[in-house]
Amino acid sequence: MSTVESRPRIGAGVNRVDGPRKVTGTAPYPMDFSVPGQAYGALVQSTVAAGRIVRMHTEAAEGAPGVITVITHENAPKVGTGPVTVLGASPPPPLRDDRVVHHGQHIAFVVAETPEQATAAARLVRADYEATEPLLDLQDPRAEQLVDPWGTDTSRGDSAAALESAEVTLRATYTTADNTNNPLGLFATLAAWEGETLTVHDTSQWPSMVRTCLAMVFGIPESSVRVLVPYVGGGFGAGLRAWPHVILTAMAARMIKRPVKLVLTRPQMFTSVGHRPSGVQWLSVGATRDGELVALDHRSLSSLSMEDNDYEPFAWASSFAYRCPNVTTQDRQARLNVAVPTSMRAPAEAQGNFALESALDELAHSLRMDPLELRLRNHTDVDPRNGLPWSGKALLECYEVGARRFGWSDRNPEPRSMRDGNWLVGYGMASALFPYFAQPCAAQATVNRDGSALVRSAATDIGTGTYTVMAQLAAEELGLSLDLVRFDLGDSDMPNAMMAGGSGLTGALGNAVHDACRRLVRSFAELACGDADSPLLGFSPDDVECTDGKVHPVGRPHLGESYADILARHGLSELTANGNSTPPVATELGMSLAGAYGAKFVEVRVDADLGLLRVARVVSVIDGGRILNEKTARSQIIGGTVGGIGMALFEDTVTDPRTGRIANGTFADYLVAVNADVPEMDVVFVGEPDRGTATGTKGVGEVGLVGIAPAIANAVYHATGKRLRELPITLDALL
Amino acid sequence: MTDVASRRDAGERPAPPERVVTLTVNGRSYALRMDTRVTLLDALRDRLGLVGTKKGCDQGACGACTVHLDGRRVLACLTLAAQAEGRAITTIEGISGTDGPHPVQQAFMEHDGFQCGFCTPGQIMSAVALMAEGRAGSDEEIREFMSGNLCRCGAYPNIVAAIREAATRGGHDARL
Amino acid sequence: MRAFDYVRATDTREAVRLLADDPAASCLAGGTTQLDLMKDGILEPPRLIDITRLPLHGIEHRGESVHVGALVTMEELAADATVAERLPMVREALLLGASVQLRNMATIGGNLLQRTRCRYFRDPTVGECNKRSPGSGCAAVQGAARMHAVLGASERCIALHASDLAVALVALDAVVHIQGPAESRSVPLTEFYLTADVSPERENVLEHAELITGVEIPLPPSAARSGYLKVRDRASYEFALASAAVLLVVEGGTIRQARVGLGGVGTKPWRAYEAEHVLTGAPATTATFLQAAEATMRDAWTVPGTEFKVPLARRTLVRELQNVSRVMA
Repeated sequence: MSTVESRPRIGAGVNRVDGPRKVTGTAPYPMDFSVPGQAYGALVQSTVAAGRIVRMHTEAAEGAPGVITVITHENAPKVGTGPVTVLGASPPPPLRDDRVVHHGQHIAFVVAETPEQATAAARLVRADYEATEPLLDLQDPRAEQLVDPWGTDTSRGDSAAALESAEVTLRATYTTADNTNNPLGLFATLAAWEGETLTVHDTSQWPSMVRTCLAMVFGIPESSVRVLVPYVGGGFGAGLRAWPHVILTAMAARMIKRPVKLVLTRPQMFTSVGHRPSGVQWLSVGATRDGELVALDHRSLSSLSMEDNDYEPFAWASSFAYRCPNVTTQDRQARLNVAVPTSMRAPAEAQGNFALESALDELAHSLRMDPLELRLRNHTDVDPRNGLPWSGKALLECYEVGARRFGWSDRNPEPRSMRDGNWLVGYGMASALFPYFAQPCAAQATVNRDGSALVRSAATDIGTGTYTVMAQLAAEELGLSLDLVRFDLGDSDMPNAMMAGGSGLTGALGNAVHDACRRLVRSFAELACGDADSPLLGFSPDDVECTDGKVHPVGRPHLGESYADILARHGLSELTANGNSTPPVATELGMSLAGAYGAKFVEVRVDADLGLLRVARVVSVIDGGRILNEKTARSQIIGGTVGGIGMALFEDTVTDPRTGRIANGTFADYLVAVNADVPEMDVVFVGEPDRGTATGTKGVGEVGLVGIAPAIANAVYHATGKRLRELPITLDALL
Repeated sequence: MTDVASRRDAGERPAPPERVVTLTVNGRSYALRMDTRVTLLDALRDRLGLVGTKKGCDQGACGACTVHLDGRRVLACLTLAAQAEGRAITTIEGISGTDGPHPVQQAFMEHDGFQCGFCTPGQIMSAVALMAEGRAGSDEEIREFMSGNLCRCGAYPNIVAAIREAATRGGHDARL
Repeated sequence: MRAFDYVRATDTREAVRLLADDPAASCLAGGTTQLDLMKDGILEPPRLIDITRLPLHGIEHRGESVHVGALVTMEELAADATVAERLPMVREALLLGASVQLRNMATIGGNLLQRTRCRYFRDPTVGECNKRSPGSGCAAVQGAARMHAVLGASERCIALHASDLAVALVALDAVVHIQGPAESRSVPLTEFYLTADVSPERENVLEHAELITGVEIPLPPSAARSGYLKVRDRASYEFALASAAVLLVVEGGTIRQARVGLGGVGTKPWRAYEAEHVLTGAPATTATFLQAAEATMRDAWTVPGTEFKVPLARRTLVRELQNVSRVMA
């Protein structure tokens, strides 16, 4: 059998296999599907943040042209609750009762013959409320606080005592804003029942989970639910849960016995599909005068909705990011009358790393030490929690290559010392990691009579390149050219896959595809090695590999034959094998599973009078383990960097302090980076295949974002001498 | 629940104003009887099945619905279908030639100028127009004049690279 | 959107008559504000009169002025050779004003009538809005106010006028030509707009059945230099936090003529007469510019969240005065 070690460390930059469909507009996204006879839904959302609905006024809407039905908590059927997943309990189902817990909560669903009619009628629905004062401020003492909600708090040594006795200490508070995922594709659901069978097109990063949820909610077998999502339209975490509007659409379709289609509006995207929660973080760092960390205390408080959950341990990764004998990390959540937060690209790390890497920069400046040197001095090649070596960590190489490519040593370390006309110039850097994450995955591989292969799994490709890299992996394992391999996904009837999230899918699914393909090759080998008409007769199936479309003894391609020949001789139309992967266990491996690492170097320019802040260049050096496709992996890092620029400079979901209403819920008001905000980028991959998994990959979907915000904040300090501990950094703070 | 569906027959209430609109899309003519509220975007997507043009905000703020009207790039979401009558409408479905993809489409594939792909039809329609406007002269110019097309995946540097290449390969006279 | 009748007008008099016949009817031109607000449920006209095919599409040069038809698009005006040569601040304001797609749609007449971006105004579920429902109050004053106005603002309303073009045009003393049912009239743009501290619900002097037919822009003396500086968070495609349209004639280091408009700060496109007063006859130095900026923002009315606009507007004006005077030197 072939081994990963024999494969190239960085795979060819193959064009996306779904490229032709995407550039011609023929890739179908959830909102693009229609079925005959479909009706259209429109949501009505609460206009208070807390209280109770006293009365719903639906008469005007019911009497409006084309309206088929109006569903409220008064006439909605009772439904069940979805599953508890690795992300926690499913969102509470919609229209359960008269309570309102956030502004923008769904309180009615209008169904009409056309989208125009549904939207117009939804405006006619009114509610009388008994409103109560909403809790909106993260630090409101009345808000219920969840202590260590995920059991991730850590403590080693005695950080309090070590801080007390440290030669140098730094204490600082950092805040990060609510950000909204805002994929370009508006979330859409099309639900159609045939008897007790439900088919749903849905914007989801995890169709297997949506299937389970809908089956539980409606009390039908999972085998009666099919969730389809061949193309997602972006997610960034927003598609990781089975949201109330999905259930509402299926509920309405069941009630009117017709298919129903719902497309969320952009303002509804701010309250219906999660967001990155705001947070406050308190950092205390103790060090020796020569920059050795002796104590680290990292605590966070982040926002949570009243009735749902979100996995967001900001501080946790500080327990293993650096070598430090005395560490305490604690995460808390405050329940507020806000829409439910959820994972958004680099959940927890985006925020936690901002605080940690800003604090280290502050410490370096107070020690008059190069910030890079401070990181080097506290680098660790073993997991400080358990002393195990990492399964792969090329962070030192990231620093070295990054500093060289950026020209880090050219900088004048003095703040406000570099200038270009009106522009103050600043350099900043930060270290980045995104921890290992994986869930079980399954895949099925088939080789057909003509020698082509079809590999399938109920995964999604949210733009990360799953279609492409899985096809590349399968082609490699099966010894076929890429054009003979198709990878299909986005259908819950296919073998179960984990979510496209947590930078876990490529690794976990890749291992399942790898397993399926190896088993398939083995099946062919067993057929051929026992076949008198095969050139492989007498060879052990253990000593067979596949190259150039031939199954052959290792290293002897001239003794091979094609898949087609083997199938034909045995009268078979195809051969199929199933593969699985389960996350490895660190103690069994004798290694701690490493996630991805990176070093980020940024140059900013700040207009000395006007406060304008622009990112001039970014160098990202990434240890992503084995890179399957240099082109799509690079795109992930670029995209993450753009997300990081947005987080650092622009993104701020503003809640009205009196009413809890989102005050900037449009793309004209909630700013994301545009083309002109993004400079040319340098992206380099370093490191070796990860030793912890069969394919050697690490996910690279999130690590591109991590570290960008602190590198920018640190560069702003270098440019201006102003330390900004609050994101986003807007020009008001730089005047 | 069944009576909910049957309670109101169509025609019981006054129908919203309708109008027959003749649209010329990618060289083909279509006569559609539609609610006057229907935007060009919804007419293309829901009535003509041309779903390549995307709805990313429906508020004129993201560029995903960019089409060409008489050769100029506009937003289909803030254009009523009735306003487009008599104008030549070109959508993403209308820019590939019989001999293969448009040079801009090809360059987007080569440079990985997209990830999730949702904003891509709008980006490409904008890019084709940008080249015809003579605004692909420098990266800075491309960035500024492509800034009306949001890409949340952050493919901007690759979009710029794709347009740069398409333009230098003589795309100025690209089919439009 | 509420259902509406769609009528396509073919000549200007017919359009005006259609408007006069129906007090609730609205005009539809580029649609970039009108349709957006109709989708938001802020405007619900039962009848839309599509005026895009009226013969108001020309740009004519008459002596020392440029006459711009109301339906000329922002892109078309920006491409005009005379505008590029003699009115750089107009061209820059146009090009910085919106994406190319929007500029291909939005008309000059419509741009002058564009409505505020205030998200409290643009959300019908917000009850307190003196602009939508006079006397109800202003939710923005106590809300999230970073993008709001500080000049011509009061506790009654702080809605910003978001135009860039109009800022340049008020500075240039442009004149709006208006066709009414009975007669036509011309109004200087400086007298066209009303401020929100006086009448939040009424933004300009246009009466219901009146239609803007064009705008006349006087050409400045050939010795004049001008420019438009727009300051915003993003590098492109965003409304101004502050902007300055500046035109100067400087002779021998002394400012002979000064025209200044400010954007991103006013409830209307702001003509900064105080600044012009300070500048005219004074030496073209940074000290003068600082004085002018100080005078301009003296009457600013801020709320928590908008205070930064006062220093920002001052600095923006100073910078653009420096930029324009440097070109002259």
